[in-house]
Amino acid sequence: MTQIVEVDRRLAIEEAAARVIADPENSKVAAGLLAEEIADETATHGVRTFSESVAATHAAGLLQDGLAAFVSAHSTELDALIDESADDRFEYFGLRTVYDRYLLRHPETRRVLERPQHFMLRVACGLSASVAEAAELYALMSTLSYLPSSPTLFNSGSRRPQLSSCFLLDSPRDELEGIYERYGQVARLSKYAGGIGISWTRVRSRGSLIKGTNGHSNGIVPWLRTLDSSVAAVNQGGRRKGAACVYLETWHADIEEFLELRDNTGEEARRAHNLNLANWVPDEFMRRVEADAMWSLFDPKRVPHLTDLYGEAFDTAYRAAEAEGLHTRQIPARTLYGRMMRTLAQTGNGWMTFKDAANRASNQTARPENVIHLSNLCTEILEVTSDGETAVCNLGSINLAAHLAGESMDWTRLRATVRTAVRFLDRTIDLGFYPTPEAEAANLRWRPIGLGVMGLADVFFSLRLPFDSPEALALSTRIAEEIALAAYDTSADLAVERGRHRSYGDTRAAAGVLHPDHYGLGSSPAWTALREKIDRTGLRNSLMVAIAPTATIASIAGCYECIEPQVSNVFKRETLSGEFLQVNRYLVTDLQRLGLWTQEMRDAVKRADGSIQDIAGIPSELKILYRTAWELPQKALIDLAAARTPYIDQSQSLNLFMATPTIGKLSSMYAYAWKQGLKTTYYLRSRPATRIAQTTVQALVPAEAEAVACSLENPEICEACQ
Amino acid sequence: MLLDPGMDLTLRPMRYPDFYERYRAAIRNTWTVEEVDLHSDLADLARMTPQERHLINRLVAFFATGDSIVANNLVLNLYQHVNAPEARLYLSRQLFEEAVHVQFYLTLLDTYLPDPDERVKAFAAVDNIPSIRDKAEFCFRWIDTLADLRSLETKQDRRAFLLNLICFAACIEGLFFYGAFAYVYWFRSRGLLSGLATGTNWVFRDESMHMEFAFSVVDTVRAEEPDLFDDKLGEQVTLMLEEAVAAELAFARDLCGDGMSGMNVDQMREYLEYVADQRLRRLSMPIRYGTANPFGFMELQDVQELANFFERRVSAYQVAVEGNVTFDETF
Repeated sequence: MTQIVEVDRRLAIEEAAARVIADPENSKVAAGLLAEEIADETATHGVRTFSESVAATHAAGLLQDGLAAFVSAHSTELDALIDESADDRFEYFGLRTVYDRYLLRHPETRRVLERPQHFMLRVACGLSASVAEAAELYALMSTLSYLPSSPTLFNSGSRRPQLSSCFLLDSPRDELEGIYERYGQVARLSKYAGGIGISWTRVRSRGSLIKGTNGHSNGIVPWLRTLDSSVAAVNQGGRRKGAACVYLETWHADIEEFLELRDNTGEEARRAHNLNLANWVPDEFMRRVEADAMWSLFDPKRVPHLTDLYGEAFDTAYRAAEAEGLHTRQIPARTLYGRMMRTLAQTGNGWMTFKDAANRASNQTARPENVIHLSNLCTEILEVTSDGETAVCNLGSINLAAHLAGESMDWTRLRATVRTAVRFLDRTIDLGFYPTPEAEAANLRWRPIGLGVMGLADVFFSLRLPFDSPEALALSTRIAEEIALAAYDTSADLAVERGRHRSYGDTRAAAGVLHPDHYGLGSSPAWTALREKIDRTGLRNSLMVAIAPTATIASIAGCYECIEPQVSNVFKRETLSGEFLQVNRYLVTDLQRLGLWTQEMRDAVKRADGSIQDIAGIPSELKILYRTAWELPQKALIDLAAARTPYIDQSQSLNLFMATPTIGKLSSMYAYAWKQGLKTTYYLRSRPATRIAQTTVQALVPAEAEAVACSLENPEICEACQ
Repeated sequence: MLLDPGMDLTLRPMRYPDFYERYRAAIRNTWTVEEVDLHSDLADLARMTPQERHLINRLVAFFATGDSIVANNLVLNLYQHVNAPEARLYLSRQLFEEAVHVQFYLTLLDTYLPDPDERVKAFAAVDNIPSIRDKAEFCFRWIDTLADLRSLETKQDRRAFLLNLICFAACIEGLFFYGAFAYVYWFRSRGLLSGLATGTNWVFRDESMHMEFAFSVVDTVRAEEPDLFDDKLGEQVTLMLEEAVAAELAFARDLCGDGMSGMNVDQMREYLEYVADQRLRRLSMPIRYGTANPFGFMELQDVQELANFFERRVSAYQVAVEGNVTFDETF
């Protein structure tokens, strides 16, 4: 009998989920049914209350003893904190994600042992020293106002609490032992759900002499193939696949082979399909592209010092090495730049990240020996690395959509959320389990955190601000500034309470220089007052703000990802749990109000691949507001990013979108991004050149399908004009 | 005219630039089997019920030979009679894609069926499994209709050619394959077999283009020789689709047995009828069934994907990008 109930409910969930486009409310219906199913599932293991769930997960060997003891000592207070109705805030996709991936399961039965609210309070308790602290963080999480990053959600309170999202490894030394030691580090870090960024710039290029054997090197590609296999072999507890991004500086003589690693044609022995690739680009290169000058490629073995220089020191050393004739060969800078653009268009990879912009404004690079050599897997983290120091970052993101109050942002609440978030991110540094000593050493020394945002597009839609409007730019910049001010202020308070971070004396902040100062924006009364405070207190954290992609946690929160525009008004999310329909509910609400959300309209939007621009009857202000990422000028995205850069002391995962990229458009766009002072960019998103014949919208007969046969070149077969 | 017999070699002035554009678009979507990670599927297969395993094994057995049959017809019939070099460019490209599909399904079989005897059996399914043999025979019968035609001289010849073209587009690529895709996406909607689904997405994209190319050949011929399209042709197409639906339905009975939650013979029948109507509509012919699509999960295939790159390979990129470095283009 119960089996029949379960099967019926599962079908009802699927049916509701499939009708999300017709009415987005079906998402809540499906979520409600799923919440019931989860409650029934936990009940089979006798779990109803929070304390019961912690007891059950602890008994199953999944939690730390300390956490179990804390919960058992305060079970009545903690059980009372659970807000059962908070489940109503989930969209179906968000709750499904929580259920499939985050709730702890019994090792044998594979049934979940905690409900969604138990999970959130368990994560909060895992980061708290008192019931009051746990209540504070749980209140933010259960209202979906702030979520820690996935590794923290996965592992808080567990026996191996690896809580950090990203690790940045310096390039291996140019020797066999160094390279194999790095593979080991990458594997250990990857195992516990960390994303890996690793530089390969120090390793000698193809043809370089190997003294020990009197042979010649095959260059970096064979090493990266091994890294590729190693990364693919590590499966993060079945929850995610391992992932890594390799950074290479633009002067490395193997740069062209590096750019071909992701091509889907050519010799398989020189491909690495699982690795992401990023260019670590010095300004000197971009200047030569502009001037249409030559560019010299070097074997790092001959110019090992270049890797640890940036800015004018790099420019001088680079030119001196050229003058000495140390380069392996030279090519026109524009040829290489065009090649980089082609890789972006063909693979989305080969991200453009700018070495000098990254180093110049960093709080960590006050001393010449402290240099940023790469960014991370998502290009939002910029931290110093060296052979013995692996940079680490703990992340969390504020859901901006949950901080709206009527027609504007609730600034007071936003600041309060930042304060809580910073305190807990700082706490994760001490609670985390570090898979390698290099990571632990660096994190305790610098104590960087990465507070980010999500749901910016929701804010713009709610306030009816087109992405490219001046009002959107002003609001987005103010959000970034408010977050930075509150974050720095909190870190200053923490420095008083718990002490400055160990390397504070090595930072620019110690000399009175804060991030906005590099952009001439640090002299307002708010920043002046903050600078004075920091002069007295110091800081607990060397870096504080980074805008991560929030791919998974935005799903949980039911908002648009980080600072991204929507890609389509109707789309599906593909994840390890399956595929899920998503619709722009702001658009649907508007069209429902106008009585326009009909089956014909839904088909028309799907047929137009989620665009509403050419659909008759939709008011033009809605068309302007609900443009997709493909329809917005990318210049506007870059301008938004550039305007917030002074308040982002690390960086931002900035995707750029171009439906049909050409080398000309891309080279203009990335040159503009560099000129605007962006530190990093992320994927170039493009669209498939062909698409499937849709099954669920009415087939169009030729006369209906515009532009099928209209061609002036062959008017005799063109029916449209006759 | 497009079906006039001969070996036209003249690309300029180009008579059918649309065919040439289709050729170029297809090249921009080149994918290779090496990009698909099928090993992640093995854990899913191990967890499946015997009924689901049976479905998958049969499905894979159909895939093993389906694309080879399509390729054969292309070489034996289509290429010969579609007389425009730009159209033949597209067909050459299509032939390459069919080869990639064959390679994909070969790799799939080798991965899914580690036992060599099982593999041999799967490839022999076209001879031994009645529900697969019947579909293959349907295809062979239509290949053979043009066997003795060296050139399309008469109206009768041309109608025979059109029926073959429509059969492969509407019934085989457009119905048999669409049926097979639905099973894959049914698994996918439950979070299963993502490797197979990834490859299928790409095959699906290619097949859609093949079908659309064939239909635009039909449109072109209709514009050039409208008298070929008489009522009789319409009746023959409808009859052919009915036959294809029946064959695919017999296959569904073999696959689904008594049915599973979310997938059974009745739903598959509705789906196939719905798809068949779509094909008729595209051919500007009256629909036959008037049935609605029962599979909500197919809607998922009609909208843009937003993959979490942590979890899935992103498939939305293009090859063959053009242009030169400049700094003054708008973006």
